Amino acid sequence: MPAVSVRHLAKSYGDKQAVRDVSFDVEKGDVFALLGPNGAGKTTTIEILEGFRDRSGGEVETLGVDPADRSTQRWLRSRIGVVLQELAVEPYYSVRQVLSRNAGYYPSPRPVPEVIALIGLEEKADDRVKTLSGGQQRRLDVGLGIIGNPELLFLDEPTTGLDPSGRRDTWDLIRQLTSLGTTVMLTTHYMDEVEALADRVAVLNNAEIVAAGTPTSIGGRDSSEVTIRFLLPEGTTVSDLPVTVDSLEQGLVEIRTGDELRLLHELTGWALEHDHVLTGLSVVRLTLEDVYLHLTRDAAEPSEKAIK
Amino acid sequence: MSTPSPSTSPSTSSPSTPTTGSFRGLSDVRLVGRQVWYEQLSFWLNPLGAFFTLGFSVIFLVLLGAIAGNAKIGSGYGSVKLVQYYLPSFTAYAIMAACFTVLAQTLVNRREMGLLKRLRLSPVPTWSLLSAVFLSTMIIALLQVGILLAVGTLGFGDYLPAHGAAFVLTIVVGMFSFTALGIGMSTLVPNADASGPMVSIVFFLLLAFSGLYFPIKPGSTLANISGYFPVRHLITALLASFNLPSGANPWAWHDLLVMAIWGVGGVFVAIRRWRWAPRRG
Repeated sequence: MPAVSVRHLAKSYGDKQAVRDVSFDVEKGDVFALLGPNGAGKTTTIEILEGFRDRSGGEVETLGVDPADRSTQRWLRSRIGVVLQELAVEPYYSVRQVLSRNAGYYPSPRPVPEVIALIGLEEKADDRVKTLSGGQQRRLDVGLGIIGNPELLFLDEPTTGLDPSGRRDTWDLIRQLTSLGTTVMLTTHYMDEVEALADRVAVLNNAEIVAAGTPTSIGGRDSSEVTIRFLLPEGTTVSDLPVTVDSLEQGLVEIRTGDELRLLHELTGWALEHDHVLTGLSVVRLTLEDVYLHLTRDAAEPSEKAIK
Repeated sequence: MSTPSPSTSPSTSSPSTPTTGSFRGLSDVRLVGRQVWYEQLSFWLNPLGAFFTLGFSVIFLVLLGAIAGNAKIGSGYGSVKLVQYYLPSFTAYAIMAACFTVLAQTLVNRREMGLLKRLRLSPVPTWSLLSAVFLSTMIIALLQVGILLAVGTLGFGDYLPAHGAAFVLTIVVGMFSFTALGIGMSTLVPNADASGPMVSIVFFLLLAFSGLYFPIKPGSTLANISGYFPVRHLITALLASFNLPSGANPWAWHDLLVMAIWGVGGVFVAIRRWRWAPRRG
């Protein structure tokens, strides 16, 4: 049984569809990432899985129960941990006090000293929350998410707003948790975060899943395709080129091919023959960022205006 | 909502199969007590905030009392010193400050910080955690009333309420009404930046026009206007329990009723508009 199972999930606010026909599974022990631009429906999806929000349609199971079922909601909430986008930490308590308080909400919490050690705040355990750095507060925030010893941890954009070292710290912490057997479901709009952490990723765009798979295979990354880019030589047009072009933007030619050896040969031969310069010539395998930008390109404009 | 389960031993971990209702040894009611303790801890861990929350009404009372000296009030109150008027009126201030102003701002801040959402997602029933917030607020209000009475008595002479039972009832109804209104108000404030100005302006305007600083002549236009709002009634009910004006019925039923109606209105707004998640964007 997967930790999370989602089939044809739909959610609308009035006539705005926040999530449309979304399906995926999160296997136990995995780190599953929902990747997408702001307003794509990531938070809505995760809130439905937590039982915070009701859905409009489809089937959802979190740890084997329907998160919207009030009769098992309390049980479910004792088995999941939640870390919100906001740094939800109260300023005046000490680290130890706030963890001890929340430990009391759970039937079998992790011991407070164990959590303090896990989040690496031993030296700050008796300091006020407000004296912690942003990265330390985020770690405490994650600590509050795992104090109940959850099987499944939801992290909603866990590193948004953190500096690079704060992000690394948070990643290390998440890796540690998964090594202890916790299933993690996170949302993010950072590609490097997905590459660093996720076993599986689904790309959400405009309320729909546009691609899903492992970070290394998603969107055809594992196919042998490469992208060749160069600036169109002056005085030539695309039709002068000996090869088929996939896109041309502000003079930058982009060609995707699985047969780069032959194509480069033709291209460079043509350039030498006509004495053209192929400025900025590059040959790269698809990065996750390429895939992501390609998948979400259509919605790049509306997502700016979409509600966060 | 749910009842404590009788047989959960401390070492037993929660069941791995879904269960309904309660699973904990610690009953939900005991949880409220624990949570009130943490609320109080949070309040006192911010001494500056605690001082200003508790101290403002006292500072006002002492300052205005000193300025007024032996001045007498008119407006049909007879030969009564202004200071005697300030003790009940600032008791009203204290209740409104704690239950309405501080509570409304606390709830807005916690909502916008995401604390309410996290609370919602914890396995304990939300009512137990929220009622702890309200109870803690009432403790602060009662503490302020206690300090005011002590200062009024020690500093300005024997000015305790003439009718203790009526005073207590008024305090109870006032705390209910303004706690409900504070919760309702918090749902009307869109974000944390707006909460200070929005709540304060309602607070100070209502108080000033309801007779906090000076007695308002019954039957005057100002009295008629402020009579629609609950603050005026809290002040007059408290005054009545201090036998002001002389011979007033200490059981100010009309005032208590108006406050209660406002309180119910506050509950209604709170239920209709309550939200757990921050308003983003």
